[in-house]
Amino acid sequence: MFELLFKYPPAFFSRGKFVLLSRWPVWVLVLLIVIAAAGLFWNVRQRHGLLSNMRAGIIWFAETALIALLLFMMWHPALSLARLRPQQNVVAVVVDDSRSMGISEDGKTRLAAAETLLNDQLIPDLKKRFQVRLYSFGRDASRIDQTQGLVAGDNATRIGDSLKHIADEAGTMPLGAIVMLTDGGDNTGGVDRDTISQLRQLHVPVHTIGFGPDHFAKDIEIVDVATPARALPQSRLTARVAIRQHGYSGAKVKLVVRENDHPISEQVIELKSDADQSETVLFNAGVKGAHTFQIGVEPVQGEENVQNNFMVRLVNVAEKKMRVLYIEGEPRWEYKWIRRAILDYDDPAIELSGMVRTTQNKTYYEVARPGELANGFPTKPEELFGYDGLIIGSVEANYFTPQQQQMIRDFADRRGGGVLFLAGRFALADGGYENTPMAEMMPLHIPSQKTFSRDFADVALTEAGEESPITRLEDARDKNDARWKKMPQVANYAVMGTPKPGAVVLMTVAEQGHHPSPLLTIQNYGRGRVGIFATSGSWRWKMLQDHTDKTHPIFWQQLMRWMVTETPGEVVASTPRQVLSDDTHLPLRVNVRDKNYDPVAGATVQTTIVRPDGGSDTVDLKPDPLESGVYTGNYTAEKPGTYVAETVARQDGKTELGRDTLTFRREDGVAENFGAAQNRDLLEKLSSDTGGSYYTAAGAKRLPDEVSVSEAGITAHDNLDLWDMPILFLLVIGIRGGEWLLRRKWGVV
Amino acid sequence: MRFRTAIVAALLCCGFSALLAFQAQFKEYPGEEDNPAPVPKDAFEKTEWTFARLRYPSGRYSGYDGLRGSWPTDFPKADRQLLQGVRRLTRIHTRSTEQVIDLVNNPDEIFNWPWVYAVEVGHWDLTDQQCKLMREYLLRGGFLMVDDFHGTFEWDVFTQSMSRIFPDRPIVELPNADPIFHTVYDLDQRVQVPGLQYLYSGRIYEKDGTVPHWRAIYDDDGRVMVAMCFNQDDGDAWEHADNPQYEAKYTSQAYRLGINYVVYAMSH
Repeated sequence: MFELLFKYPPAFFSRGKFVLLSRWPVWVLVLLIVIAAAGLFWNVRQRHGLLSNMRAGIIWFAETALIALLLFMMWHPALSLARLRPQQNVVAVVVDDSRSMGISEDGKTRLAAAETLLNDQLIPDLKKRFQVRLYSFGRDASRIDQTQGLVAGDNATRIGDSLKHIADEAGTMPLGAIVMLTDGGDNTGGVDRDTISQLRQLHVPVHTIGFGPDHFAKDIEIVDVATPARALPQSRLTARVAIRQHGYSGAKVKLVVRENDHPISEQVIELKSDADQSETVLFNAGVKGAHTFQIGVEPVQGEENVQNNFMVRLVNVAEKKMRVLYIEGEPRWEYKWIRRAILDYDDPAIELSGMVRTTQNKTYYEVARPGELANGFPTKPEELFGYDGLIIGSVEANYFTPQQQQMIRDFADRRGGGVLFLAGRFALADGGYENTPMAEMMPLHIPSQKTFSRDFADVALTEAGEESPITRLEDARDKNDARWKKMPQVANYAVMGTPKPGAVVLMTVAEQGHHPSPLLTIQNYGRGRVGIFATSGSWRWKMLQDHTDKTHPIFWQQLMRWMVTETPGEVVASTPRQVLSDDTHLPLRVNVRDKNYDPVAGATVQTTIVRPDGGSDTVDLKPDPLESGVYTGNYTAEKPGTYVAETVARQDGKTELGRDTLTFRREDGVAENFGAAQNRDLLEKLSSDTGGSYYTAAGAKRLPDEVSVSEAGITAHDNLDLWDMPILFLLVIGIRGGEWLLRRKWGVV
Repeated sequence: MRFRTAIVAALLCCGFSALLAFQAQFKEYPGEEDNPAPVPKDAFEKTEWTFARLRYPSGRYSGYDGLRGSWPTDFPKADRQLLQGVRRLTRIHTRSTEQVIDLVNNPDEIFNWPWVYAVEVGHWDLTDQQCKLMREYLLRGGFLMVDDFHGTFEWDVFTQSMSRIFPDRPIVELPNADPIFHTVYDLDQRVQVPGLQYLYSGRIYEKDGTVPHWRAIYDDDGRVMVAMCFNQDDGDAWEHADNPQYEAKYTSQAYRLGINYVVYAMSH
């Protein structure tokens, strides 16, 4: 219909440029229209007879529009656009041959539907105008002669890599356009910017034809699982699970964490309406070593795809004991029980050293290592930075020198350590912290007046606290909430100011009838973390509950793990993907710092990777030109299995700056299980970013026309006449006829 | 009628819970004070620590203390004099007045006071319920200092109750190297601290308790739960610190020992 009225397909109008081909300038056209309008106005005004002003105005408008339209047609309107020269250009037709294309809908696989479309319609139509080059793709693109050999067997879909491969070939042939038939189930998370910009540079439009439904009628899919890459022994970890479901709104399902096929944690969740939802499940990291967890939702009856219910995540549980220094400015019960929470349970992850000022000139030390803190609280960064966490109790701010205050801030900011401030008569606002560098790092604003009170007060979890592994005493959330509701009151508390942007309040505290104030608040600061626990009375959780109750030690062990788990060493190796799903490419990034945690620019950084078969490879990492102290490299994981990568950084090729171990895993045959529905958003974005169009299989018959409009390949610029569009003639007749009918009706013919 | 009863019961429950929500405050015990002392102005201050005196029953062993029992021996002057010393010599936030922990009438209050002192335990006579409570208190982390009991008979009386608190834990001599003797002061050289009676009798010991002992019961992690000052009278040394006849060396050691025990309890 569009073409019947407008003579050309819509794509011509969207991509072409409108021009007027008359030799006469446009201003003459405008002037003539104005003169005609004025003349007609004068004429109608003189001769309107018995017509009312409004009717005369309508007559004037119709006549003016008619003359303007005729003048416009005389100025020779046209569309200027680049079109591929017939039979001189190549169109790449790319067919997805990954496993997800083997999924059947309405009794026919996606691949079969694509083949039918190609062989019955698309290829014959395209061949009339272009040379057609056929590709199949999955992990990568490759030339094929015909579609008969396709089996939907590739374990991965990498649209970006495949397009890049074809774009690279475009240098040797006049590539006019790419036509891609796929379900869009890309396993790399999308098409990278480099490939898009390469295609845009070549002006090659990518037209996509989507196969498969936008979603399954009944399916629960794990979209993503976020877990920490590293953990300390026996830590409680949080897995944040993104779930997408269709057809199971309101259903109760089991969110499970498995290790070696044995469930180690589970909780029942209710699926919300047809939309993505995020849930958390907590589990224990276990003993040292690399742990592989399967995290997801137990399949439920009637699911169309049960292969996308679990994802694998790798957590490396380190052997290292993280060092925490606790300084207390006066003997307090909290000091005793915090130490007991760690020491009584022989915590394998925390090494706690304490110093408490017992008198004005005496400090009592309980240190983990001989000679530790021999000169009191550290005065040099390399001494303080030897710890991973720092707890500051009831210590006046001015007990620390200005240099020490700055060093404490740097401890979190630069060194990446965890700092926890406790309340007390010499702490926070009561201790004069308000105008110190330490106040800046705190997650809460410090009140200007003293607020520490020795009144018993109730504690409560916030919504964030209900989700946090720090405050999780029971795996099941409802049991955990119930336990906190019965928690004994804390012995004291300090009223704090408002949270700063980015801070998260996990617990509140309030006396009966008082407004709640933040009790436990945390935030990231620089490379580290800072928290405020606005009480020193959690010891009542120990003294007011049965001696076998572990509430207090569990809470403090978890709080200390939060402080130190992510505290980096001098050398930190990382990768964006610890599990390579049907992928081989592992980018490596290593951050190298010295004892003061300043970036080291001239280090030699080498990673030795032990393969699953026991052999090893070595990767030399290169300095990142954009970031001092950062070294990058790439590794190809040839075989599926678990890899262990040990990175060593040296200065001058000799002195070892530090080392770090990273584990990662390559898994085959899983990627295509996820995102098996059509990823229409991705395909539409790809087409619009490259100047192409998205089609459904049913609407693809328009495609050959649109393919011809392209600025890539060998093109010719054509001016297509518009003056003879049927719509214009219909308009002329319509205006004139309408005016005549009105005149008849009004009796002025 | 039933509805009204329910409302009244609910209000009573709320009121009772509200009472439980507060820590007991300083309270005087007129008629039971062994050596009265003035009540300081800041008697009700809320602090981190104060001297918590155990009000235990003497029962069969009330002895010369008669109906009053032996728990308030030296009370409250000894308590308040030690408190002055702790305030002056340490950074512990300390109240000026003692707290009596009534094991008979309000036993659960003990859990709010992790350090308690019991005097003349050669006369205490705990019920099974009280023994169970003390055991639970100590296992949760509470600290008990016992003092001013002398000789074989009083030791036996003491252990009759103590062995019911901890039938499974031995009483041992504290070695000099134990941190309890070194938290603030190094107390390797210790003397027998006598009661006031030595000024009249000339003997620094009482009954057949000629040799002083610093004994203890440890928890599973090697920390002192119960510290026993046997054949000594630190309470008298605190009480008579302002008595010119009472020798300073005894007072000095009693203060140092008391401070060490308190700081130890707050750090171990």
